[in-house]
Amino acid sequence: MRHPSAPRSLGRSRTSRPFLYPGEEIRPAATPRVRLEGASKRAVETGRTRLMVTAGLFACAFALVGLRLVDLMALPEGAGTPGPALARAASDDPRRQDIVDANGVVLATNLPVVDLYADARKVPDPAGAARRVAALLPDLDPATLSEKLSSGSAFVYLKRGLTPRQQEAVNGLGIPGLEFQRAERRVYPQGRLAAHLLGATDIDNQGIAGLEKTFDAELTDPAAGPVRLTIDLAVQAAVRRELEWAMQRFQASGAAGLVMDVNSGALAALVSLPDFAPENFGDAPDDARFNRATLGVYEMGSVFKLFNTAIALESGTVSLKDGFDASQPLKVAHTRFQIRDYHPQKRWLSVPEILIHSSNIGSAKMALKTGTTTQRHFLERLGMLRPVDLALPETGAPLYPEPWREINTMTIAYGHGIAVSPLHVARGVAAVVNGGLLPTPALLAADAATPPMRVFSQATSQTMRRLMRLVVTQGSGRQADVAGYQVGGKTGTAEKVSSAGGYDRRSLRTTFVAAFPISQPRYVVLVTLDDPQGIKETWNFATAGWNAAPTAGRIVARVAPLLGVFPVAPTETARWDGEILETALTQEARLALH
Amino acid sequence: MSEREFLRPRWRRGDMTIAEKLWQISWSYVLIIAVIAGIGVIMLYSAGNGSFDPWASRHAIRFAVGLGVMLTVALIDIRLILRYAYLLYAATLVLLVGVELMGHVGMGAQRWIDLGFFHLQPSEVMKIVLVLALARFFHGTDIEQVGRPTVLLVPLLMVAAPAVLVLRQPDLGTALMMVMGAGVIFFLAGVRLWKFGVVLAAALAALPLAWSLLLHDYQKNRVRTFLDPERDPLGAGYHIIQSKIALGSGGIWGKGFLAGTQSHLEFLPERQTDFIFTMLAEERGMIGGLVLLALYALVMVYGYLFALRSQHQFGRLVVLGVSTTFFLYVFINVAMVMGLIPVVGVPLPLISYGGTVMLSLMVGFGLILSVWVHRDVEMGRHG
Repeated sequence: MRHPSAPRSLGRSRTSRPFLYPGEEIRPAATPRVRLEGASKRAVETGRTRLMVTAGLFACAFALVGLRLVDLMALPEGAGTPGPALARAASDDPRRQDIVDANGVVLATNLPVVDLYADARKVPDPAGAARRVAALLPDLDPATLSEKLSSGSAFVYLKRGLTPRQQEAVNGLGIPGLEFQRAERRVYPQGRLAAHLLGATDIDNQGIAGLEKTFDAELTDPAAGPVRLTIDLAVQAAVRRELEWAMQRFQASGAAGLVMDVNSGALAALVSLPDFAPENFGDAPDDARFNRATLGVYEMGSVFKLFNTAIALESGTVSLKDGFDASQPLKVAHTRFQIRDYHPQKRWLSVPEILIHSSNIGSAKMALKTGTTTQRHFLERLGMLRPVDLALPETGAPLYPEPWREINTMTIAYGHGIAVSPLHVARGVAAVVNGGLLPTPALLAADAATPPMRVFSQATSQTMRRLMRLVVTQGSGRQADVAGYQVGGKTGTAEKVSSAGGYDRRSLRTTFVAAFPISQPRYVVLVTLDDPQGIKETWNFATAGWNAAPTAGRIVARVAPLLGVFPVAPTETARWDGEILETALTQEARLALH
Repeated sequence: MSEREFLRPRWRRGDMTIAEKLWQISWSYVLIIAVIAGIGVIMLYSAGNGSFDPWASRHAIRFAVGLGVMLTVALIDIRLILRYAYLLYAATLVLLVGVELMGHVGMGAQRWIDLGFFHLQPSEVMKIVLVLALARFFHGTDIEQVGRPTVLLVPLLMVAAPAVLVLRQPDLGTALMMVMGAGVIFFLAGVRLWKFGVVLAAALAALPLAWSLLLHDYQKNRVRTFLDPERDPLGAGYHIIQSKIALGSGGIWGKGFLAGTQSHLEFLPERQTDFIFTMLAEERGMIGGLVLLALYALVMVYGYLFALRSQHQFGRLVVLGVSTTFFLYVFINVAMVMGLIPVVGVPLPLISYGGTVMLSLMVGFGLILSVWVHRDVEMGRHG
């Protein structure tokens, strides 16, 4: 076959090629067209079409990014994205709704103030005016002020949030071009008490953190009433006070605590320390602005043994009568890694004893028997693998292993290798003790209680309550007990990850999660301390039983009366505790305890 | 008879003097490239907060070196390139394996080879060399053979080997770019459409598997964050949210040179590399962004003109293959910073700071120019 594209003037006979490439024929119009038949013709057409198709696609792609660029940069933003327009609206209609606690005590409200601004075009003597205004408002710099006043702009803020007296004085100067604008400033009468819950607003009274941000729309709706929380200010104050006490006593770098209704999930208190003054949110260090109760996710340590045991019991793979060999550290296959116990008993332990002595080896073996799939399934149902659906913007996403191997199953059994927020744990424990229903944590009194999801059976929950009581009467949680309130709970001491890699034995996070009264639980209390130190009074121990547990106990003692929980007679408690001891523990175990 | 027509038989034989070749180089194409690189220098000057140090000066020097390399490559006889295409491919593949075995780990991925004077990223070189190898393959295969599935096995392997190696580094963006660039060459070479359908269907079917086995957590997070950037506004979603804020604040005319607040106050991450387009758009506005896009489009148009004029399949495929790679850089980067696709670390060609990409692109442009200079050279099936 003749090559079709031989140049015109040079005789085609010189250039014959063995075959034809697709698209070979495409030439500028000057080249003569050659007739082609059959397959070659189709090939040429295919080549040409495809060239055009790709060119078209590239053109479309360029058009797409070009249009997107125009969309992003030139067109006004769609509804929902706060732009400059909203900032203006904020001062035109300054009314922002109050936030009140469960009893109607005001947590956030507004103070009427005025903003001083200038129409710099009308100010006759900028330098002189600047000097006179600066004399009345000494925190303003005369040079900056003079610059603003001579800028020639029609609107420039000089100072925002003047008191009535300042307004009168400035007005008395009679300088043309200086004007006042009605505005409001957000104030928080309770100071830092509920700082992490309330969050903060910016200078235009728009929510930028916490509930102020979540409910920005509701709070700026003039028709809506105040936003009412489930928080009880008295409980909040008690929790904060006790956490402050603990932080100081145990020289902890941070603390978090919360009180939650086990059935409805309503939060009566939620505290994270250190905190900030909501008015000065912008000046607070990052550490203080960080919500350790909901945003921080941590390896929570042995409190996870509650979930581990509950899962093992619920799935039916383990019964209370079963025992596990905790005489030797557990070697993990193919690694040098060993699981050890903090208080080695060096013998077989029954399921209740594993909780009482907080045995890592026993828990890991129990988890292996339960299986990875079951563990993951239950933790997922307990909401441990996704952020808690809470009305705060500051909610942390859990960290969990992917893939979930056997080694993870073992460490997760005692709360390592998975990081969740303290709120996750409190909610999970609520489900463990309340009869097995997972509640949705609520902060808003008006929130319709979403139907809780069943995770555990009544029977499992019943057993777990007894085991949690045993931990407090016989195990590591003794210091959390409060006479009359039947505290049940679990300690958790996690070694923090060191910046040098691995875990740091000396830097701990201690947690105590309690439910009371454990015979018929009404509230979950969770306390977690960041990096507490051993002190003389605790014989230099820094584990949870020595600091988080007594703090939780102090909180229970203070908030139980506030929450209307009536104390139980000591004889009744003693009878019940004895019965638990009889039924839950074997003869040998009881002997071993004494 | 005009001079041009008089010269043609010699050109077809390929014996041109250096001067003739230089004369034939499309200098307007070189100019467009230089203008784009000039914009790059200006933007890097701004990224350095109004200083030639540390980025702008080195970018300019690299471009100057690249320009020399480009012109040198443009003078190389295209038949020589065809002859050594497979050899180059094999050598680069060896380098890629070398990275796998002993490469340097930077930013959580293993991508570099230290040549002493230069950190070489073989995956970038592979993007260009793969085009050469595929072009050579399809040059030697006529349309009848392309129709046979067994024949396609060889080029498929040629794509798969580097793609898998790059994916293991891990560098999802580069692997995808290679596969997409190769796909365009396959398409242009006349591979039947239903075969693309089969590959696409297989890829879609393998997607869930790839999600759980191949993707790293950070890559999964990027996809999740793309779907919902607000999910993690301080973590994985930070880049894209900041990028959109910067773009939105630029407006039509921009905030002015060196006056981009989002970029200079360091809200915008990686402003000298992956997010440089955002900074350009913030400072120069929508108009600036559109002008740059137009320049890039012009480079593509030139590519098509060169391809149409090339007398040989090899040249056509090389020009379009390299142009496609170039296009993918531009499109992926720009679409990423605008939040149209997930965050993948792909630089903006000729503008972003980075040595290997600049060099491999300049070699690519050199190849395109070589095709243009040698457009009338006659080539048999095997060079």
